[in-house]
Amino acid sequence: MTDITRRHILGTGIAFASTVAMPAILRAQTGPIKLGTLTPLTGSGGSYGPAMADTVKKAADDINKAGGILGRQLLIISEDDQTSPEAGLRAARKLIDIDKVSAIIGTWASAVTTAVVPVCSQSGVFLSTVSGAEPITLLPHQGFLIRTQPTTTLQGTKFGEFALGANAKTVAFVSPQTPFTESQYAALTKTVTAAGGKTTSLIYDDKKTTLRTEVDQVLRGKPDAIVMGGYTNDTAVLVRDLYRANYRGSLFGFGYSVNKQLVDALPADVSEGIYTLSPSPAEGSNAYKNVARLLGVDSPDTYSCQVYDHLNLIAMAMAVGKGDTGTIIKDNVRKVSQGGGERVETAVDGLKLIADGKKVDYDGASGPCDFTDIGDITDAKFRYEQVKGGKIILLKIA
Amino acid sequence: MLTYILFMLVVGSIYALLAQSLMLSWGLAGLVNLGLAGFFAVGAYASAMLTTWEQAPILVGVFAAVLAGGFAGLLVCFSTLRLRDDYLAIVTLGFAEIVRIVASNEVWLTGGTDGISGVPVMIARDTGIWFHLGTLLITVAAVILVYVLQRRLLASPWGRALRAVREDQTVASVAGKSIVRFKAQAFSLAAAIAGLAGALYGHYTSYVAPDQFQPLITIYIFLAVTAGGNARPAGAVLGAYLLVAFLEATRFLAEIAPGVTALQAAALREIAVGIGLVFVLTLRPDGLLPERSQKAPAS
Repeated sequence: MTDITRRHILGTGIAFASTVAMPAILRAQTGPIKLGTLTPLTGSGGSYGPAMADTVKKAADDINKAGGILGRQLLIISEDDQTSPEAGLRAARKLIDIDKVSAIIGTWASAVTTAVVPVCSQSGVFLSTVSGAEPITLLPHQGFLIRTQPTTTLQGTKFGEFALGANAKTVAFVSPQTPFTESQYAALTKTVTAAGGKTTSLIYDDKKTTLRTEVDQVLRGKPDAIVMGGYTNDTAVLVRDLYRANYRGSLFGFGYSVNKQLVDALPADVSEGIYTLSPSPAEGSNAYKNVARLLGVDSPDTYSCQVYDHLNLIAMAMAVGKGDTGTIIKDNVRKVSQGGGERVETAVDGLKLIADGKKVDYDGASGPCDFTDIGDITDAKFRYEQVKGGKIILLKIA
Repeated sequence: MLTYILFMLVVGSIYALLAQSLMLSWGLAGLVNLGLAGFFAVGAYASAMLTTWEQAPILVGVFAAVLAGGFAGLLVCFSTLRLRDDYLAIVTLGFAEIVRIVASNEVWLTGGTDGISGVPVMIARDTGIWFHLGTLLITVAAVILVYVLQRRLLASPWGRALRAVREDQTVASVAGKSIVRFKAQAFSLAAAIAGLAGALYGHYTSYVAPDQFQPLITIYIFLAVTAGGNARPAGAVLGAYLLVAFLEATRFLAEIAPGVTALQAAALREIAVGIGLVFVLTLRPDGLLPERSQKAPAS
């Protein structure tokens, strides 16, 4: 009896293993098309990732309600990268090998993206990311990577121009150590020194609960402007300590860190006057309004807008290429993102046009979404805002 | 599916090496080593820097990682000679953080938070399944090698003396054993094993960055060793593989749980790890494979 059981198990095991060994093409061509999200649900990116995963899921529901892609439904599988390359890699392997996703959407931390890129390109899985660090698109990715976040060099330059515009001569750059700190500071310095100003930089530990000594050190240089390069939690600590130290110059921060959450958490006079800069979501566009509707908020954050665009681009690329693999997405994504055609703002509209044999050009919630050969966006608008009386007021979009 | 399982087995083997490192320093020598992630990082960086930037052969890199780990262990041990228990734990935790912060900030030395990408791999990546299978064989061989070594040490007079030091330092020194020597040897050897694990990890994922060496990994290994049995090499190895299986299984459990959002699932997984530890400690306080008491030789 035991013998039979063992043979039975062995037999099943071998049958199962040989199914796995079959080329993917022999297996399911029907059933839902699987896509994965890999966003930080816990860890230091935990305040951004949940909304991102949610956006993708809800946007996919919209596409499914309108009939899906090539008559098939989309299935979104969300994994947590724990804002750690080690955990992120394990989650990516699960998405690729177990769920057999064709694309992974939304890696956030640059270190996680760098760890996941080789695995994706080797397995023929498309990766769309919101990481801004310069070297990411230079990794050998064989075209399997796009990002919608403007590179940090561009952001550094914009910060420099912004600070100069506010009549700053000495600019201090205060930031935790991240993969983009260096390139950002270099770009900022280049812009400011070209106009005859000077810059200093200070790197702090973003896990500290007070930055008083760092603030004292920065203020010794009497900067007219301070550019803050951190995320929401540590920026809140920094802003509070600058206020306590009676700093009277102007403050600049990223839109993703000096956000509504931060402004609400601090008293109005502490956050008064902070300038913010962010890659401008195409506010007023239907895509942007769509993200706002999906999330049920007035102004969705840039990352949610970006992953919404990722999903739409991937969905339309699959429809144009008439297939569901990462390679098809890679080969067709630029056919729907740029190069003329009927302008569309959601995949639901785009898919209808594609079914009618028309060419589409997607303009999304995060911007025009046109990509270079290595996967960077070609054009990015920035949104300049200022905190006034506990509210974030729009200055200009340029 | 197969790739996934192989990948997890490699990760499990790396964890098994780390667990054996912890078993030696914590379980046998009684030195609470919360700096495990630091030694892991030292090994990973030593090998990655040599092989990626200096084009040294991988074998040289791995050897350097073991040496660097051992040397770092010796350094930490000598700077903490008078510390035991909680105090030692705090200092070693500090060491791991120092390694991580130095690695993030000394950009000229380590490449900063960008990390080192394109670390050479042991088996060519384009060999498909053989890349994973080959790496698995190498890491399992390393686990077996360390396991045999540990068994051998454990059975030797050195192992007995080490446990005597763990049980009561005074008694051991009265019996003429040099406490410092035993502690330093055990700690340094343990750190060298962690260094080996780091090198193998870097050569598998071909990416080394400070974020990989957060204290969380040390906590995971403590969990593995506690579950498996902290004074038996077999316990540590078993615990490590079980831990990886458990961590991954919670992923699928969270997925089938009805009406749970992705965020809640992520939180549930972390809760499950905590509950798992509580269960193990309640049901098997000495781990699945508790320490065997050694009988004195017959004559």
